[in-house]
Amino acid sequence: MYDFRVAKKQPNYNLIGKIRVRILVVLATLVFSLFFAQLVFANNLATDGQKLAGIQKQIADLKDQNMTLKVQIAQASSFQTLSQKAADMGFVSAKDPIILK
Amino acid sequence: MDRIKVFQIAAYVIAAVIISRLFYWQFLAKVATNSSGIANESKIPASRGQIYASDGFPLVANQEAFLLYGQPNELGGDVNTVAQKLSPFLIPEKYSTSSAQLSEDEQKQKDEEIKNEQQILAEKLSDKKLFWVQLARKIPLELKTKIDSLSLKGLDFERDTKRFYPEASMAAHLLGFVGSNKFGDDTGYFGLEGFYDGQLKGQDGRLGEEKDPLGFPILVGSYRSIPPKEGDSLYLTIDRSIQYIVEKRLSQDVQKYGAKDGTVIVSDPKTGHILAMATYPNYNPGLFSEYSEQDFKNPAVSDAYEPGSTFKLVAMSAALDLSLIDPNTRCDACSGPKQIGDYKIETWNKQYHPNSTMTEVIEHSDNVGMTFVSQKLGVDRFSDYIRKFGFGSKTGIDVQGEIPGLIRPKDEWRPIDLATASFGQGLAVTPIQMVQAVQAIANGGKLINPRVVEKIVENGHEMHTNSPNERQVISQKTSALMTEMMVNAVEKGEAKAFVPKGYSIAGKTGTAQIPVAGHYDPTKTIASFVGFAPAENPRFVMLVRFTEPSSSIFGSETAAPTFFGIAKDIFNYLSISPNSN
Repeated sequence: MYDFRVAKKQPNYNLIGKIRVRILVVLATLVFSLFFAQLVFANNLATDGQKLAGIQKQIADLKDQNMTLKVQIAQASSFQTLSQKAADMGFVSAKDPIILK
Repeated sequence: MDRIKVFQIAAYVIAAVIISRLFYWQFLAKVATNSSGIANESKIPASRGQIYASDGFPLVANQEAFLLYGQPNELGGDVNTVAQKLSPFLIPEKYSTSSAQLSEDEQKQKDEEIKNEQQILAEKLSDKKLFWVQLARKIPLELKTKIDSLSLKGLDFERDTKRFYPEASMAAHLLGFVGSNKFGDDTGYFGLEGFYDGQLKGQDGRLGEEKDPLGFPILVGSYRSIPPKEGDSLYLTIDRSIQYIVEKRLSQDVQKYGAKDGTVIVSDPKTGHILAMATYPNYNPGLFSEYSEQDFKNPAVSDAYEPGSTFKLVAMSAALDLSLIDPNTRCDACSGPKQIGDYKIETWNKQYHPNSTMTEVIEHSDNVGMTFVSQKLGVDRFSDYIRKFGFGSKTGIDVQGEIPGLIRPKDEWRPIDLATASFGQGLAVTPIQMVQAVQAIANGGKLINPRVVEKIVENGHEMHTNSPNERQVISQKTSALMTEMMVNAVEKGEAKAFVPKGYSIAGKTGTAQIPVAGHYDPTKTIASFVGFAPAENPRFVMLVRFTEPSSSIFGSETAAPTFFGIAKDIFNYLSISPNSN
């Protein structure tokens, strides 16, 4: 006859041990990977300073060029320049304009 | 143990040592760098705000400039040779024209300047203990390129900016200039640069970052940045075209009339906006160091003068406003000179007009007639109106260097002072005060303080300046009566020949003798003309003032023709046709 009483379940120490080991391995791998990644990124960043300095210089150069171009535009469109050019081209100022009504 | 295993172990050990050392330097070691802490911080300079005319054109901009420095311990070649090569580039800009255009004396001065500069440079570069020595500031890009082409070792440049004036010396007295303060920082002096220096200069930022020995930033290091606050930009009420018209005519006429100097102000009477403000001779703000300090003062706001007959407008307005007289009131004391105490009041041409009306008193610019008006007013009322019109106190215009003029306190007025004040003697006003007062006559009686800056732009956001103060100083009726009297003075006065045909212009001449050592010198005068047009709907008020004109001492023969000449050009520019309201 079959005994229907619930048998006391025995813990599977072997399985728990295996899981713990796996977690430890995963954690160790993760820590090591992060540590390694940190080293790689830090070293890459260390050399990127040069690139950043280059970009910053480029920005400053472009700003200066922009400033110089604005100055050239202002100079070329100033009344001083325009009146001189107009005079050179033979234009004269209208002394007595005729007004039509 | 075989050799391969030994090699493997050795490789692991070396790798472990390297990794642990890297770990140590990366995370544990506190490296004492020369760029740590405060020494690590560098300045991010804020660019100075620009100044624009009302059409958005920059009257003052920034341009690329450089600071030239030397590193004596890295200098290549002999110090004297370097100084000799460099010195011709660092002398004042006035000698920068080619030698062929310089006179013999100027060439000698230039050679002397080069010699002095060479000596200064040699001294600076001789000190080998110095790591860094400044040789020149604010040198332009073209000059840098020339110095670069010399390929001198031990010289280098730092980026900087300097002011650039696209219209050269246009409105120089109004704009002011930028020089250095005692710390070497850019600072605005005089005019708008001085008045708005705090807003124009902005605020420098700071950058704290670690750098490697080659000067490149270490991105894994600490980083702290405070961005700079760029300077605010000013948008002026100045109309560039009117300013150009005024300056062109003023420079011609100062020379034509042999005047010591000339000043013109044009304003919009409805808003108090200054449309043009010019003085001749002027200066180049880009080369301010080559002028004396006296040249920088803006006579339009900083020069007090006796206004002469133009002040008759104030006395007449006061008497009309108080209904003490009307334009048809007849002067019963105008048949001859008027004796007041020890003093005799005469007309400017010794011609007298018995029983003349008040309109005729203004038309003839009759001093005796004005004495009649002043006696009706009395000291208290006349003094009150003078101050109501804004004389004796600053107008509040947003330009550095304004003075209040000089009006004596009420209790110090003697009978002769009452009489002379009515024709503009014995008191001192500034040109801008005169314009402010005439604006009130032109706009229906409102005294509006003049303004030059319409808006300030801060980081792209527009901030309008405070609204001008407005107060009614005379009634609209008085304003209209005064306008009629001034139109009559122009149409029938001494300067009628110069009036542009078909236009209704209100105005008044003034010729004031200059007090010298306690008496008036009859040969030295300040000639002026103040008025507005078109009289029915004034678009502008203008004051023209010449100091000591020599071709004629009278305002009617100097300032008035200049006024009408400028007015004609402004009519064309503003498309105001003859007989048009």
